Amino acid sequence: MPQYPAGTVRALLSTDLVTPATRAALEARLVSAAGYEPQFFDPATYALLEAVAARIFPQPDRETPIALTPAIDQRLLAGTADGWRYDAMPPDREAFRLGLGGINQAAQAQFQQVFTALDEARQDAVLEQLAAGNAAGENWQQLPQSRFFEDLLAELTEIYYAHPLAQEEIGYVGMADVPGWQRLGLNETEDREPTEVKL
Amino acid sequence: MPEEEVLEESVLNPVKPEIQDPLLQALLAESAALDAAPTEQELPDLLPNPVEEVDCVVIGTGAGGAPLLARLAMAGLKVVALEAGPRRNPARDYATDEKAQSFLFWNDERLSAGQSPVAFGKNNSGTGVGGSTLHYTAYTPRAHANDLTLHRDFGQGVDWPFGIEELEPYYEELEHFLGVSGPTPYPWNPSRRKGYPLAPLPLNGAAQLMQRACAQLGIQTSPAANAALSARYYQEGIGWREACTNRGFCQAGCNRGAKASMDVTFLPLAESYGAEIRADAFVTEIERDEQGRVTGVVYEQYGQTVRQRCRHLFLCAGAVETPRLLMLNELALSSGHVGKNFMAHPGMQVWGTFPEDIRPYKGIPGGLISEDTHRPKNADFAGGYLLQSIGVMPVTFATQMVRQRKLWGQALRDYMRSYNHMAGINILGDCLPHAANFLELAEEKDARGLPKPRLHFTAQENEQRMNRHAEKLMRQIWEAAGARDIWAFERYAHVIGTARMGLSGDDAVVNPEGRAFDVPNLYICDNSVFPSALSVNPALTIMALSLRTADKFLASLR
Ligand SMILES: Cc1cc2nc3c(=O)[nH]c(=O)nc-3n(C[C@H](O)[C@H](O)[C@H](O)COP(=O)(O)OP(=O)(O)OC[C@H]3O[C@@H](n4cnc5c(N)ncnc54)[C@H](O)[C@@H]3O)c2cc1C
Ligand code: SF4
Repeated sequence: MPQYPAGTVRALLSTDLVTPATRAALEARLVSAAGYEPQFFDPATYALLEAVAARIFPQPDRETPIALTPAIDQRLLAGTADGWRYDAMPPDREAFRLGLGGINQAAQAQFQQVFTALDEARQDAVLEQLAAGNAAGENWQQLPQSRFFEDLLAELTEIYYAHPLAQEEIGYVGMADVPGWQRLGLNETEDREPTEVKL
Repeated sequence: MPEEEVLEESVLNPVKPEIQDPLLQALLAESAALDAAPTEQELPDLLPNPVEEVDCVVIGTGAGGAPLLARLAMAGLKVVALEAGPRRNPARDYATDEKAQSFLFWNDERLSAGQSPVAFGKNNSGTGVGGSTLHYTAYTPRAHANDLTLHRDFGQGVDWPFGIEELEPYYEELEHFLGVSGPTPYPWNPSRRKGYPLAPLPLNGAAQLMQRACAQLGIQTSPAANAALSARYYQEGIGWREACTNRGFCQAGCNRGAKASMDVTFLPLAESYGAEIRADAFVTEIERDEQGRVTGVVYEQYGQTVRQRCRHLFLCAGAVETPRLLMLNELALSSGHVGKNFMAHPGMQVWGTFPEDIRPYKGIPGGLISEDTHRPKNADFAGGYLLQSIGVMPVTFATQMVRQRKLWGQALRDYMRSYNHMAGINILGDCLPHAANFLELAEEKDARGLPKPRLHFTAQENEQRMNRHAEKLMRQIWEAAGARDIWAFERYAHVIGTARMGLSGDDAVVNPEGRAFDVPNLYICDNSVFPSALSVNPALTIMALSLRTADKFLASLR
């Protein structure tokens, strides 16, 4: 699995290889979300969402994990959408209410505890059931669980890979596009493209 | 289980339980203020400036609206375009960042129903001065003559009410006006009279891999035609446009003006001839007189309701909003076909991981094409498709990938670490109309209080057969290229056919000139009028129809 050196994207952002608009967008995401107070979810539900997000994107390698849940809280508060929704799903706020409640129901059914009280292995077991469409819980009678899992996974994925440090992790430096790219072909890279490090 | 109760009660944490959408709240507050307004006699005119009647109003400034706007303005008519989305300055406002450009997409919620629900938003439609061309991949193949005759050739679908010779002069004009880069000669269209004005753009890693493998398998390939400049180009009404710098970001906005989106081509041309473009203007009503002629439109702009009167209306709002506006206004419904015949191009993708360093973010995304599958010999389906290499940005790739593969946890992060080693191929293929595929108004309302559109789509036998054929072939190509971990993503894109064109008002909404059968001064021009889906990307053909509609209209005035 390719590994890329750390610090490359931050270094690029301080150069004039990045346009001001791009730099502004990425730097805003680098600001730490530590101590974020949820405004849409109540604290207990927000903690549950955080716990789920931490299993979908485990980040044991990071001192400060990339925060994924503030963006969801803010989006639901603002009532904005991304242009579409499965007709089989209720409106987003209702889907989160039923879905997060359903995750706790599934945790209770499997391990007789709420999700946040479980260890990581058991949390993963609950999410595996959900992903496979086998989670227990009455909320899932009103909410198609595979669609809920898919939507949640897609939203977290979008937030994660929009983060400059996640982009650095996969060796993406498309943001440094001011000069354009001349070396496009197979195995052709330019100086500003970090190469894989051998572990 | 106390926690659950807490959850049930308080997840929504409602400020106001009934209406939580802030925009909707604001709108309701406004209308409450109006309700409390004075009695009839003193009632102020709620619709400022109904003053002037213009020759033509054009709703929407995308591939369908912009070319005809320019044509009408150049003929000396007084024209106004109303565009729901904003006007931006690409050089200043467009970050090379997927999320920062989400304002380019039509993000009002649409409901996707059926067995193959279609993704909208960034998968499908744009907004702003320039419409969806602001973020199209600028991939501009011409339709083939037999794309217009599926019924004649296969006994399925319907034929276009005219032949390709009606579109060819416009294709030629467009390729030269927009500055399309492409190969000359073009291998699959020997009848072209002229070559492309610019040489093809360079091939990126994915395109090179596909080229190599197809050569082994005996499949002919060629660099694709793209409406992006491979060299500086002079354009009437605009001046010099700069060449593409291979920044691979066409699926969002181009900050260089190298991609031929409408905001750097037809719209400045239209404005140089006196057309007026009003941004942030969302049309809600189309008004008529007793005879059923359109007299004007009503739109919302910056919280105001404005009326614009017109002699002729051109509805170019895209294949969801056009039928939605017709339904909301109970207009042009006599055929019963508004919202019917919804088609979406099969756009199956096949991805693989390669030992080579590919860097999918560089180079024009749609670099290499093959049209050898236009009418495959051993096919068990009607129509055909084309093959195309894909470049992709990380967020788009990752979100589509998880929807298909459902990878999560460490496996997801591990997989994505190989992003620089991934390459994809996709198809774009024909689709047949089917009774199960249609658009309707839902009961659920949007922030404006208007019903949301619901689109039903289920891939039918023909689409499924085409997908199977294509998946097998694309897997062979990637195997020959040395990929491992090959996977396929079944997807559908482009909204087509919801107000189709035909010879009779019994089964079509507009006539071959683009005029509504049952409203004498209403024209429709966008992806909704296509009688069949075509086996090629739609934008160039939409623009060709747009110029043709304008010319037919101008001729009718004489
Ligand atoms: C990511 C992506 C890549 C694509 N790549 C290609 C490609 O490579 N090649 C290709 O040929 N096609 C491509 N397409 C498709 C192409 O962009 C569209 O088919 C084409 O632009 C549709 O043209 P249209 O005129 O029908 O609608 P649009 O271009 O969408 O224009 C409709 C306009 O109407 C406005 N509008 C809607 N409702 C209202 C209202 N009530 N009041 C006022 N204004 C309104 C909208 O804001 C919009 O600006 C791509 C699309 C996407 C999403
Ligand atoms: S690849 Fe070229 S045309 Fe596309 S966005 Fe970049 S500069 Fe513009």
